Amino acid sequence: MTDYGHDLLFGLFVTPSAQNAPRVLELAATADRAGLDLVTFQDHPYQPALLDTWTLLSYAAARTERVRLSGNVLSLPLRPPGVLARAAASLDILSAGRFELGIGAGAFWDGVAAMGGRRLTPSQGVDALREAIAVIRDLWDTDARGVVRHQGPHYPMTGAKRGPKPAHDIQVWVGAYKPRMLALTGAVGDGWLPTVEYLPDGVASLPGLNARIDEAATAAGRAPAAVRRLLNVMNVRFSPTSRGLLDGPPQQWVEQLADLALTHGVTAFLVGGDDHTIAERYAAEVAPAVRELVARERGR
Amino acid sequence: MAIELGIVLDLPAADGDPAALVDLARQAESAGLDLVALRGEAGAEQGLDPWTTAVWLAGRTTRIPIGIAPDLNSPDPGGPGPAYPSVVAKAQQSLEVLAGTRFVTPDAGWVVAPPDAGAEHIRRLADAGAPVVVPARSAEDVRRIAGLVAKENRPAGRSAAVRARRRAGIDYDGVPASLADVAIEPGDPAYRRVTSTYLRGGSPGLVLRPRTSDEVADAVAFARRHRQVPLGLRSGGHGISGRSTNDGGLVIDVGALNGIEVLDAAQRLVRIGPGATWKQVAAALDPYGWALGSGDYGGVGVGGLATAGGIGYLSRRYGLTIDRLRAVELVLADGSRVRTSKQDHADLFWAVRGAGANFGVATAFEFEVSEVRQVGWAQLVLVSTDLEQSLRRYGELTSAAPRDTTVFLVTGRPRQGRSVIQLYAMVDQEDPEVIIERLTPFTELGALAQQQVVRTSYKDVMALAADVGPDGHQGMGEPVSRSAFLPALTGDVARDVTRLLRSGLVYFFELRSMGGAIADTPADETAFAHRTPAFQVTAMGADQSRLNAAWDGLGQHFDGLYLSFDTDLRPQRLGDAFPPRVLSRLRELKRRYDPDNLFRDNFNIDPRLTEEHTR
Ligand SMILES: Cc1cc2nc3c(=O)[nH]c(=O)nc-3n(C[C@H](O)[C@H](O)[C@H](O)COP(=O)(O)OP(=O)(O)OC[C@H]3O[C@@H](n4cnc5c(N)ncnc54)[C@H](O)[C@@H]3O)c2cc1C
Repeated sequence: MTDYGHDLLFGLFVTPSAQNAPRVLELAATADRAGLDLVTFQDHPYQPALLDTWTLLSYAAARTERVRLSGNVLSLPLRPPGVLARAAASLDILSAGRFELGIGAGAFWDGVAAMGGRRLTPSQGVDALREAIAVIRDLWDTDARGVVRHQGPHYPMTGAKRGPKPAHDIQVWVGAYKPRMLALTGAVGDGWLPTVEYLPDGVASLPGLNARIDEAATAAGRAPAAVRRLLNVMNVRFSPTSRGLLDGPPQQWVEQLADLALTHGVTAFLVGGDDHTIAERYAAEVAPAVRELVARERGR
Repeated sequence: MAIELGIVLDLPAADGDPAALVDLARQAESAGLDLVALRGEAGAEQGLDPWTTAVWLAGRTTRIPIGIAPDLNSPDPGGPGPAYPSVVAKAQQSLEVLAGTRFVTPDAGWVVAPPDAGAEHIRRLADAGAPVVVPARSAEDVRRIAGLVAKENRPAGRSAAVRARRRAGIDYDGVPASLADVAIEPGDPAYRRVTSTYLRGGSPGLVLRPRTSDEVADAVAFARRHRQVPLGLRSGGHGISGRSTNDGGLVIDVGALNGIEVLDAAQRLVRIGPGATWKQVAAALDPYGWALGSGDYGGVGVGGLATAGGIGYLSRRYGLTIDRLRAVELVLADGSRVRTSKQDHADLFWAVRGAGANFGVATAFEFEVSEVRQVGWAQLVLVSTDLEQSLRRYGELTSAAPRDTTVFLVTGRPRQGRSVIQLYAMVDQEDPEVIIERLTPFTELGALAQQQVVRTSYKDVMALAADVGPDGHQGMGEPVSRSAFLPALTGDVARDVTRLLRSGLVYFFELRSMGGAIADTPADETAFAHRTPAFQVTAMGADQSRLNAAWDGLGQHFDGLYLSFDTDLRPQRLGDAFPPRVLSRLRELKRRYDPDNLFRDNFNIDPRLTEEHTR
């Protein structure tokens, strides 16, 4: 049993489809209205059928009032950290503290290269991300004195102005699957954001991967609870009979999510489907019941 | 002169008040101003990110264009470098999708007036033609600025954001009045619906959409003044060889000329506009018990097909689509409107039936259509483990088939030694027994995996094509296709085609059986002169030069090509499409009717060249 004790977050994992842009914006509005906590978008800049995720995040934030937003996850290779840090802080300021930073080392290197980005090996990608997170946090840290300098090798800086300062302590959530990425997440991340469909054994992979993060956190002198565990579930459905994870009646969703929280320490659940009805039922029939159930169990 | 007036806001430092920024933008919008420009405060702290702020403002307002001063985008020297230009470009496109054309690119330019500028000062600054913006710090400022120029002196036309998308070399302000209300340019909301065709992506600089032949003449006159940019003609948007979209050029889209009218029921004489689709034509003729043989796909437009040939399911019975033509009305390069038929402008009537896209914009076609009642229609899917043998057998069966039976064969790359063969067949007979008798031999070309045989109408076969949705065509990139005529499907052809398909270079391969009534028309009667081939073949691939190399290697089997299915731009293709005597006659006519080579988007016969160039 692992429960890191975080409050629970319920949100959407939305495809930023250009062709269905009005629907994408409506989903964000629905989440806002229905009381979900988060709206998140994938980021694949090299995909012509998808919108630019940064622009979508900024626009959707402007058209909502209370829901928080994040990339899920932003593609570092095409989003240089200096630009990203300032854009992220700006969006956080404009939206009064509603932005969180989901970020990944990148994948689909052909696509990255086609957009003019550098092609990295997986291991270089991990190093670049570690460096980027440090750069981003330094640029946000306006209380420190002097300009920001970094050696590189990926993002050298000879003296960058600090700021702007985000409106709140933006959480850095890392999309990670492999050992070195998990170690990085444990050492410097504020959260771990994988997609269950990409885990080798689905939910059954969680204990092993969680343990790696815990270990890396401890080794870095942090409490494992410093790293929130989030989870994307892409394929979800409300159906009369139970068929699998988040594929069944609402009551089954409630039990499965509560179990993820209490057994595996997952406290943010981002569901796919790109569907209004799912979003509304998730907010109305599932989220409150999971909160209640988890609170009750935690109170024992 | 209309004056475009806006406000310029200082991008606040982090400790500034972002809510005030939104308030000012909203006030400018409700005061009817034309632009909110963002600029940096000199010597300020690291301020808000310009793009994020611009998008945020667009999201919190509904209409007003938003611009970013160019200097705001320069990265700070000790910092980590700029965003990737490709990502920046994509961001701008995305904002357009989300919010419409709201972002004013810096190259649009605007003039910043001093905060205390008066009306006279503003008028002087506006003389340069760019929008004028005045610094605003309060609602009071915005009100005062909006009052500087009377409402009636504000522009009613396209905003600065829209005009900033205009392409070089096009006289947008000179678009003829008759066309201006429906012309579409890159910044317009409707633009994304007109950029693509069925198989091709594009980004034309201006799409003109005439509704009458007089308006077509106006469009042609406008095009004559723009010889330096590409010109595409568009009817139904299913061009393959015909580049009916382009990058930065003009498109004359005659889709609105889509009337279908029976002129003389006794003679079955029908007048059809180029913008109609073959699906619409079939539906309109069906109640009379008539049909007009077109191609195999009802979505194709009349304009492109009826100027090139028209090889379809009824060609063996009634001839090519162009063989049913009795007259074609054209707008020529000099703007004159002519009616061509065997009696009038017989030379042009000859040329337009096969090489029409070189000679003018067809604005109406008159056809003598055929009486066609019910037909047999079959879609068969067969799996063959010996493609070479199946092709040979298909060749034998189609050659032996009567004129009422037309079978097209489609296949692709064999997988694990197995080829999936699709047959599309029409039998112009009403009796089910005859239909079955005609089709049965074809079911032996492989193991029958699926079959659907129905007695139906030509209209219903054409109706299988999907309608184009409200967002228009969605093609992307460029199609890669080669075409040829086959005098016969010999064993050698079957062998070499099988080898080609195994190479994986071709994902779509089609054999159309010809013969029958196509050969009844003498070769010199139309510019489409290849009357005797047994088949027309099409191969589509992903890479033009690799497909060319493979296709050229099969050249000894071919005798010419059907231009509509060929995207190769090498000059020799013109010689394949038109035999030498036909080509030299076409070139003479081209010199007479289009000496400046205005019409050039489809198998262009350049009047300045000679036949040497096509050998
Ligand atoms: C799915 C599909 C199926 C097809 N099936 C067949 C078939 O079975 N048989 C067959 O013969 N062809 C067939 N074709 C080819 C088709 O006939 C040509 O591509 C034709 O040009 C399409 O006409 P359009 O008006 O739809 O195209 P558009 O893209 O509008 O025009 C294509 C070109 O035609 C010329 N053109 C268009 N309008 C005019 C006009 N008013 N005056 C003068 N020139 C004009 C221009 O050169 C233009 O570039 C098919 C094409 C596709 C994509």
